[in-house]
Amino acid sequence: MKRLLLQLFAISSLALLAAGGYGSSRPRYGGAVRVLLHDKVMSLDPLSDEDHPAARDRMTALAFETLTEIDAQGHLRPMLASSWHADTAKRVWQFRLRLANFHDGTVLTAADAAASLAKSNPAWKYSAPDRQTITIETPSPVQHMPEMMALPRYAIVKRQADSNGAVVLAGTGSYKLSQWQAGERAQFTANEDYWGGRPFADTIEFQMGSSLRDQLMERQLGPYAATELSVDQIRTVEQNNQTVALSRPSDLLAIVFLQPDSGGKPGKKPVDQRIREALGLAVNRAAISNVLFQRKGAPASGLLPQWLTGYEFMFGGATNLDRARELRADAAAFVVISPIALAYDFADPQAKLVAERIAVDAREAGIVVQPYAESHINGKTSRSAINADAVLLRVPLQSVDPQVALAARIDDLGLFQENSPAILGATRPEDLFEIERKLLASNHVVPVAHIPQALWLNNNAHNWQQLVTGAWQLDQLWVEGAR
Amino acid sequence: MSLKTKLLLLVTVSITASVGAVAWLIEERAHEAFRQVEQDRTSALVNQFRREFEHEGEEITRGVEAIAGSDVMLRTVTELANGAEYANYVNEAASHATAQRLDFLDLIAPDGAIISSAHWPARFGYKQRWFLDRPAPLPQQAFLKHIETPQGSVLAMICLRPVRVHGLSFYLIGGRKLDAVVQSLSAPAGLRVSIFSAPEQGPGELLGPARESFGSAKAMALIQKVLEQRNESSTTVDSGPASGQEEIVHAIPLPGYTDRVPAVLLVANSLEQELLLEKRIRNISLMIAGVGVFIGVVVSGIVTARFSRPIRTLAQAATEIGQGNWNVRVETSGKDEIGKLAVAFNQMTEELMGQRERLVQSERVAAWRELARRLAHELKNPLFPLQITVENLLRARQNSPEMFDEVFRESTTTLLAEIANLKTIIGRFSDFSKMPAPQLQAVDLNEIVRSVAQLFQAQLNREPARIKPALHLGDVPQVNADPVLLRRVIENLVLNAIDAMPKGGTLTFLTTTADRSAVFELSDTGDGLTPEECERLFTPYYTTKQHGTGLGLAIVQSVVSDHGGKISVSSKKDQGTTFHVELPVFSDASTVEFGSGKD
Repeated sequence: MKRLLLQLFAISSLALLAAGGYGSSRPRYGGAVRVLLHDKVMSLDPLSDEDHPAARDRMTALAFETLTEIDAQGHLRPMLASSWHADTAKRVWQFRLRLANFHDGTVLTAADAAASLAKSNPAWKYSAPDRQTITIETPSPVQHMPEMMALPRYAIVKRQADSNGAVVLAGTGSYKLSQWQAGERAQFTANEDYWGGRPFADTIEFQMGSSLRDQLMERQLGPYAATELSVDQIRTVEQNNQTVALSRPSDLLAIVFLQPDSGGKPGKKPVDQRIREALGLAVNRAAISNVLFQRKGAPASGLLPQWLTGYEFMFGGATNLDRARELRADAAAFVVISPIALAYDFADPQAKLVAERIAVDAREAGIVVQPYAESHINGKTSRSAINADAVLLRVPLQSVDPQVALAARIDDLGLFQENSPAILGATRPEDLFEIERKLLASNHVVPVAHIPQALWLNNNAHNWQQLVTGAWQLDQLWVEGAR
Repeated sequence: MSLKTKLLLLVTVSITASVGAVAWLIEERAHEAFRQVEQDRTSALVNQFRREFEHEGEEITRGVEAIAGSDVMLRTVTELANGAEYANYVNEAASHATAQRLDFLDLIAPDGAIISSAHWPARFGYKQRWFLDRPAPLPQQAFLKHIETPQGSVLAMICLRPVRVHGLSFYLIGGRKLDAVVQSLSAPAGLRVSIFSAPEQGPGELLGPARESFGSAKAMALIQKVLEQRNESSTTVDSGPASGQEEIVHAIPLPGYTDRVPAVLLVANSLEQELLLEKRIRNISLMIAGVGVFIGVVVSGIVTARFSRPIRTLAQAATEIGQGNWNVRVETSGKDEIGKLAVAFNQMTEELMGQRERLVQSERVAAWRELARRLAHELKNPLFPLQITVENLLRARQNSPEMFDEVFRESTTTLLAEIANLKTIIGRFSDFSKMPAPQLQAVDLNEIVRSVAQLFQAQLNREPARIKPALHLGDVPQVNADPVLLRRVIENLVLNAIDAMPKGGTLTFLTTTADRSAVFELSDTGDGLTPEECERLFTPYYTTKQHGTGLGLAIVQSVVSDHGGKISVSSKKDQGTTFHVELPVFSDASTVEFGSGKD
């Protein structure tokens, strides 16, 4: 039922997009596609500890391919792997690679894939029985290995040192990196030797670091094909009869308490569990979703959205100020309650508003929350160095497979990694629910909202595929005015 | 202290007091003038603040009214009244606030729920009912109120305007931070201004660039007083560690929309320049005062000397008269009171001299009369037997020649005895007239007293009139006396005392010291003397005894006087008599003095 819903939604999204122009003309080769990105990406390596991994993954998907992929309809599809199978225990997986070349002209081999995957997940064992077969052996069962392999972090990347000792990345994607200015600009050129055929557009250029307001100005003035939008801009854009692509409420906006055992600064005094719970009860999620996210978001009570798991509603999430005040008073009897320093992404104005709203709600429960902007809260390394008691994190939904999505999400949130085997080995939704319930019971993470990815599309850009997770698939993208 | 010194002192004090009073008056006037200037400066700044305050209030009111009357806001409110979702207008206030340069702007629903907040966008949905629950209408003009912000309570000047559509009232509350008004004030040098914001809950805070300098305990106490009493007040506080770094702080309550004072305007005026000027004026005043006092003292010294000289001359003349020199005259110059006094003084001395001459003459006559009486009395007693004896001889020659020889022999014996008696009497008078000069030396008074008491021991113990001697001899120093004469004095007094106690009694010897004298007292328990007798007791030839010459106590007084001492008598009838003798204590100086006296 769930999968059917997903498919229906994906089809309807595509139909909407196609109605924008595809129907009026056929795809054309050539042309340059210019895209504005809000975030600044400093490295294209899928394994880099990037402040903005979602933006990075959007660009790297052009150059670096995974063994499998989830298509716009939510279907698992072969990518670099043409087929795969597993043993009955789901511990040994074997993938058969298709014939493909790296951008440097070398042929993709199983050894290359094993070397790349070994960097992505050193806990697993990789072997290459032959040039086209790669075997992955895991210490515990992984029920959804093919879906896992669709995650950007498992992209097959050939890392070689150049004459200067710098690492040069080579992928097998439909576009190859032609120009790169970290944090400012990235240009990808069509891969003429792509195993799936040459893409339509000649180049795709990403301009990074523009504020959303600037992007809106550029959209009105410049020749861009697409820009990211914040949710509060959607209404204005829609009122001007512009095209907006909106994903499902897939990103999770959550308060993550930085405890020493969960990615926080070593030696930092943890916030009392009762205060964490009280804060969770004080937050008015409905107000945040309805007003700040203009009903485009959804109140979050779980780590994964309701539309994906079907059980999120069981976590409650309703505001209960009386209980919050009780918990606060209970805690005050035992510990000194200090103000909670809540860091939010410096570059995200929506996050600022949400953090301030959380502070307002917390104040009603007698908890002092002091929001402040931080420039690097998404990177795990940088997060462990900041002085905040908690961060307001926005993490993307990496997969439409609940198990893979949950495993990726706890990794992104810096939660207890020891739960990963149980998640990946879960065979029933009930098991996943129980794991998530236990994760939430510690109140280290207070889910606030699920928010969609919003994108403005120029009417001359066609086949811009935005998945339900907000990820882009641009291999079929073409623009009008090309030859 | 001499009259001149007194006059000089009096004049000096008067001049000093006068000059001091003038200097104080000048300083007080200067102080008042400076205070007036300080008040004027403060008033000017306060008026400037009030103008800025009113101007800011008018701007805020205009801004909020402009927003309330704008087509955009009317359209928004109309849509809201028609059921549009509040969520769509959550960012509505920000652009309006920016356009009207307002720090605060809330768009509020009829039930008080915040639809959009420019200064605190995250506060949407929460209710603000302070103006809805208020029975009295709010002022039309902008007023002071504390506004909640993410950073806490902020003092603001705000204005409220309703926007009515379809019978529903939406509200716009807009305003600006008050510290912007403080920042805009251009305080002259030496003046500082700040505002104390007193929120309804939590501690207050000082606003403005000079806020740090108003944090003293005294200034805070002043603020608290103004908040409680809602009246303007001021105090002086130290603005620095050094003396003279003072400033006067005026605290003026700023009204809100209720009786509660939401803020206090603080104006501090440095008194440094003023105190420096006051100090300079004080120093000049003191200098002038010092010069004035000096000149006054010099002039008054000269004047006083001139005026006091005749008085001093008169005083010296009076002193000489007191010392017995009656032949003194003072110079009579001028016709003023002093001159008249000198003339009167000379007349008085002449009159006194005349009186003394007359008194001496009369006393001399009286003395001669007394001497004649005494001589007549003394000589008459032996002359009468002589006359009788001679008449008996004549009669025996005529009537009984046979017995003449025997009568002659007896008569000659009698005649010789009476002639010897006459010689004795004449010898006594001769002794009185030839009192020897004392040979002074250090004498132990107690020893002499003890010796005399021992001498008269047998006479005192004579029955039946037994007299009991009582010696109370103190620790007295040696006296400067002639031991022979002193012994005679004490013997004479003892003999008098024995005569005064024919029925016996107690004779008390007492020695003690008083000032620089040694004291000898002899007390009897006889019948005592009348005051008249006491007064005349030392007069030569006066006696209360039948057979006394009246020279004994006169000799005693003469001897004591020759020693530089004093003698007195006190007596009470039927209780006895006490003689009190004071003798100078022996010292080297007295010897020298005596020696020089002899020379």
